[in-house]
Amino acid sequence: MDASILLEIAPVFMTYYLAALGHGFFEKSGVLNLAIDGIFVLSVAVTFAVAVYTVNPWLALTAAVVVSMLFGVLLAYLTTKFPISHGAAGLSLMFLGYGLAAIVGRPAREYQGSTGVSGFAFPEDPLTKTLMYAIPIIVGVILLFILNKTKLGVAIRAAGENPYAAAALGVDVLKIRLIAGIIGYSLIGAGGASFVLAWLPLWSEGHGLNHGWLAFAISLSAGRHPLLTIISAGIFAGLVKYQYSLLAAYGLSTDVAKMIPFIAAILAIVIFNVTPLKRKLAPPASLGKIYFKEEKTV
Amino acid sequence: MVLLNLLKYRLIIVKRVKPIPYGGVIIPIVSLITGILLSAIILWVLVAIPPLELFSSIAHSVLSPVVLKSFIMLSLIGLALVISFRGAVWNIGGEGQIMMGVLVSTYIALFTALGTMPIVSKIVMVILAAIAGALWAAIAGILRAYLGVDEVPITLLMNYIAYYIIDTLVNGPWKGKHTWGYIRTDEIPRASRFITIPGTTITVEAVILLIVVYIAAWYILNYTSLGLRIRILGSNPDLLKSAGINVPITIILALTISGAIAGIVGAIYLAGIIHRIPYPIEAQTANYGYTGILVAWLSMLDLRAVPIAAYIVGILEASSIRLARAAVMYIFMGTVLLTYTVTRIFSEYTIKFVKKM
Repeated sequence: MDASILLEIAPVFMTYYLAALGHGFFEKSGVLNLAIDGIFVLSVAVTFAVAVYTVNPWLALTAAVVVSMLFGVLLAYLTTKFPISHGAAGLSLMFLGYGLAAIVGRPAREYQGSTGVSGFAFPEDPLTKTLMYAIPIIVGVILLFILNKTKLGVAIRAAGENPYAAAALGVDVLKIRLIAGIIGYSLIGAGGASFVLAWLPLWSEGHGLNHGWLAFAISLSAGRHPLLTIISAGIFAGLVKYQYSLLAAYGLSTDVAKMIPFIAAILAIVIFNVTPLKRKLAPPASLGKIYFKEEKTV
Repeated sequence: MVLLNLLKYRLIIVKRVKPIPYGGVIIPIVSLITGILLSAIILWVLVAIPPLELFSSIAHSVLSPVVLKSFIMLSLIGLALVISFRGAVWNIGGEGQIMMGVLVSTYIALFTALGTMPIVSKIVMVILAAIAGALWAAIAGILRAYLGVDEVPITLLMNYIAYYIIDTLVNGPWKGKHTWGYIRTDEIPRASRFITIPGTTITVEAVILLIVVYIAAWYILNYTSLGLRIRILGSNPDLLKSAGINVPITIILALTISGAIAGIVGAIYLAGIIHRIPYPIEAQTANYGYTGILVAWLSMLDLRAVPIAAYIVGILEASSIRLARAAVMYIFMGTVLLTYTVTRIFSEYTIKFVKKM
């Protein structure tokens, strides 16, 4: 593989890696994150809208990160403060994200249609593309460091393994999960922003749909490990970027090509489950479990 | 001032001694009302749809003929999902299973000699659609039962695979000849189409199927050992294991039955509503597989409440169509599901504000 192919894949890699990294980090705190696709799609729409109105990619990125972060906080708060089903809370935020994305994106698309704004995407020179590898990987290393070497990381992992024990040892589970939600969802928002700013600078209804689920599978199949996620994100990025050309070589249609990432995602999840990987990189023991702490009322 | 006073208190959740009386009725109603209000605020602030316009569109949809059509489809998919949800098997793949039903019934109607044979064609379509939906769901069931793979991402990802299988066929070997240049299949022969009840949006066959499936689901869940096993799977899987019951088979069957009903929904969708598969299907599906999740949850997983929940969700759907924005339905789904998820805990818990120490 020569360097130019690697550079071509860079925007796709950045999108998936950031989103998967954030997702895995958040889930380490024990919150099952089924809202990812909806909020990813919302981040995509917010990025596009802000980019179109301001022609400033950095402002668009910031807006997407902030909006996404708010939902991360909401999900972490609801699932930790109330004894509710993580799955149902996540899916409802997913639907909300889809709806809000359509609402935010549509007027921006019309505005773009009437004014012809473009050129808000990141530049396409080799240096920028190299940075699209470097920056996310540095973020990944930092997260790995936080998780394994800091007090915060220990608290996050404790909240994910056994929130009751963590609370008994003086960890404020709610606070820790809120922090994990903020960091995790900022990255998911940044992934959504990369999708528009670096990869596909346009918007139509449903733009970005189901890429959040691919990030979900990428993170899951790498056991939520920040460095292993580099590998799975890289594989998926290549697969998605070259799905059409791969299949064109065999004379198959684009619809078959669209299927490939999803089949790969299922295979990746299954492979993770049947190999020793699952034991070595076990998911947090309390992932998705309802957390209810009896509190003193007097 | 009030806010300052509020800061002195903190919110805590405590277990109730007894469940809230009439919780099964109050909780869905409260969550529905708060959810719709939340939607109204979101739509008002972001899209400037005045709340009154939204409420009047909901009110106008209550008796709209479109609701009846959605009611049948949503009741059926609601039944399908309730069966698996009762076993704590989260089938989010209703869409994919419906699509498999659409696929198989299209094949029967368009490409076999059966398609032009009245009655036989419809019976074969429904049966094979049920089998196709069941098999599609069984894949996720087997993965969950024997390999411990979470069924939520698998069923979800399989929805997209189902869409693209259909797209591949419709934009390939199944591309119709009489479609005025559109990429889609030909219409299925008249003999395979369900018969519309005059003056309504529903078909005779759909009504019959709803009644049959409803009774079957009711019977399976309440009067068979399988139903009991599924219910225990949802409430106490360890008991099932220690009683020597084959847990994996129970998981697979819960998903398979669910998928079979979803497959039937697919047959009705094709033969009773669309009559041909459009392209690309993922952009034009009615999304019953997803809306069904809302139906199942609003029914509190109680089969008796499924038709009511289906009617209510049908109203929301009709009003979002009336407002001509697909986004509205997603907002409704998001907010109502969210308020439901939170209010549901009040059957067992209650919120208290206590003074900070």
